[in-house]
Amino acid sequence: MSGNTEYYTCAGCSCLCDDIEIDLDGENAKTVKTACRRGSNIFLEYKENRAEPAIEGRKVEFEEAIKKAQELIEKSKSLAIYGMDTIPIEAQKVAIELAEGKEAYIDNSSSYCLGDFVEMVLKKELPTATFDDVKDYAYVIFYWGVDPHNSLPRHMSRYTYYPRGKKRQRGYEEDRYLVVADIRKSHTAMLVAKNARFIQVDDDLKLVDAFIKVIDKQMPEKYADDAVRVIREMQKADFNVIMGGLGLRYGLKGNYEKFKEMINKMNEVAKVYFIPAGCHANMRGFNEVLFEKTGFVNKYSFKDGESSLDYAFFELLKNDKVDTTLIIGSDPVNSLPFEISKKLAKINTIVVDPRKSFTTQIAKVVIPSAISGVEQGGTMIRSDGVRVKVNSLFEREINDVYVLERLKEVVA
Amino acid sequence: MAITPMEIYKLLPKTNCKKCGEQTCMSFAFKLVNRERKLEECTPLFEEEKYARQREKLIEYLKPLEEATETGLIVKEELCVGCGNCVVVCPVHVEKDPYGCGSGLAPKTDKLILKVENGVVHVLDMDMCRRYGKNRVLCVVCRENCPTDAISFLEG
Amino acid sequence: MMRFTKFLKVEVDVVVARNAFIPDNKSSKEYLENVAIAFMQEEFAKVNGFKENDVIKITSKGRSVNLKVKISDIAHEKGILIPNGIYASYLTSFDGFKRFKAEIELADGEITKPEEIIEKLKG
Repeated sequence: MSGNTEYYTCAGCSCLCDDIEIDLDGENAKTVKTACRRGSNIFLEYKENRAEPAIEGRKVEFEEAIKKAQELIEKSKSLAIYGMDTIPIEAQKVAIELAEGKEAYIDNSSSYCLGDFVEMVLKKELPTATFDDVKDYAYVIFYWGVDPHNSLPRHMSRYTYYPRGKKRQRGYEEDRYLVVADIRKSHTAMLVAKNARFIQVDDDLKLVDAFIKVIDKQMPEKYADDAVRVIREMQKADFNVIMGGLGLRYGLKGNYEKFKEMINKMNEVAKVYFIPAGCHANMRGFNEVLFEKTGFVNKYSFKDGESSLDYAFFELLKNDKVDTTLIIGSDPVNSLPFEISKKLAKINTIVVDPRKSFTTQIAKVVIPSAISGVEQGGTMIRSDGVRVKVNSLFEREINDVYVLERLKEVVA
Repeated sequence: MAITPMEIYKLLPKTNCKKCGEQTCMSFAFKLVNRERKLEECTPLFEEEKYARQREKLIEYLKPLEEATETGLIVKEELCVGCGNCVVVCPVHVEKDPYGCGSGLAPKTDKLILKVENGVVHVLDMDMCRRYGKNRVLCVVCRENCPTDAISFLEG
Repeated sequence: MMRFTKFLKVEVDVVVARNAFIPDNKSSKEYLENVAIAFMQEEFAKVNGFKENDVIKITSKGRSVNLKVKISDIAHEKGILIPNGIYASYLTSFDGFKRFKAEIELADGEITKPEEIIEKLKG
């Protein structure tokens, strides 16, 4: 509120909102200001549903759980490290060092989420921008296959459509043009009103094709009106942005060349940037840290020195390629198809997580850690690539860096 | 759900008896929506048994009036996801707090109409709303940008 | 009165999407209340004989879950929307990770508990 207010960062999703005010009552967060429902909940209920150290469902001392995990990792002939989407990059780096020392596989949720887009951005195959620039300059704000109102609640109000910026002073109705492409009328699509367009898209590839054809002055099979209108709007400004989510990722069915061609074509007639719109707080952080080290963003094998679909966590499980897995800050039973996650119950699954989850219920070993943004700080990378400092409210000694350093002793 | 004079009128005695002080039941209905009159002022409705069903229906129908703020704004916290769209788009906020709310950031002042706290929107000071006072305008920008209907107005 | 729809199976498109009401605490009441849901449009519900709070059985590739019906415009016209989470993951595969075909019908029982899926997972 005033100049010396202390702000905290919410590590609930990839928005990484760093303007959260918190009133404390001893060791409890009493009032959380400005964070969304899900974000506030993380602070307000941080003591609830906490994981406890356990071996095969039996509660044990923390040290015993660490020892058991070390033993399983040491014995493992084929280890996969997975998750890390919700922990700071400082901890991700330790996990990567462990994977390297153990010649293990390493992957995060991005291999079935938005990793391909992050890779294209990092390899400069897609032009990108930061949210600060979007807020100050962007005219067409295009959400494709993503419903930020639900997955990234403050995305539009804090970074893109609603806030006023340097060259966008007159408010969203005049200074922005909203486009939402989705197969259904999502909550975000319901915000399409004046100076905006909702494209109900059945086939994302046909919409991609429509943009290319319209720019080439040919008649597309579908979405001709939509494409003409959006291109015309893009040409009105020197800054437009497309934010792509999981709907786009799966809708493209792997035809990324076509998508890149579309973005390139758009840039022949207007200025268009791309930002991945994914959910997990530090998914992109992991992608960038691994990219710096290996030149690949995910599904990497340190033994083979390369990335491959075969090394994606879900493929390794499906094909019974690993005997042990270390899952950090992730709940694959919640998010991966049943046929794949059921394999976790058959191998040595070690889970490091601050909370109980569905995966902790089937794990051989559970090691509790700290909640990012509440009990551990560090650096995270926002979905637009900006590094955000995350501070902690109640620093905890046992955090992800500590736990992973302990597990790394195996390869020291 | 919007409360309209027509829906109220349908449930009133429709006798234009003038006991409430209004010339017609329809004008009484209008005054009810604007909260210038109270339902109890329609004495026949409460005294005559034949209106019992209508009375019950009206009491139920007008319930949101009690929950609504002075400008007719109703906030349903259970429907709010805390996105903050309403806080950022409010023209009064943009004027009073351009570098906080107006820029999408945490508010830099407490002198606001709406604020997101513990993940849901709360009404702070309705007096500042453009729908209030002598030069009022029927601004609905907060409601228009709430896709989960956490914000509504009496008139719809 | 016996409802006619009880015997009807409807083939639908299932879309999986995130929901802002689902908290991180997976043991909480709010989690279950917001994740064990099948959203459908009013018109779709009417045509197929479902109504708010009905429990429906959703079957895909031999696996079924029971979820509660909620009427909402966020679903698409020709099917249901279920939130990201353990129920969606139980039904889906990578062939159609965020969108797949399923059969739905009125169910007799309660909504499926996450523990039932965990038990199946353990084999």
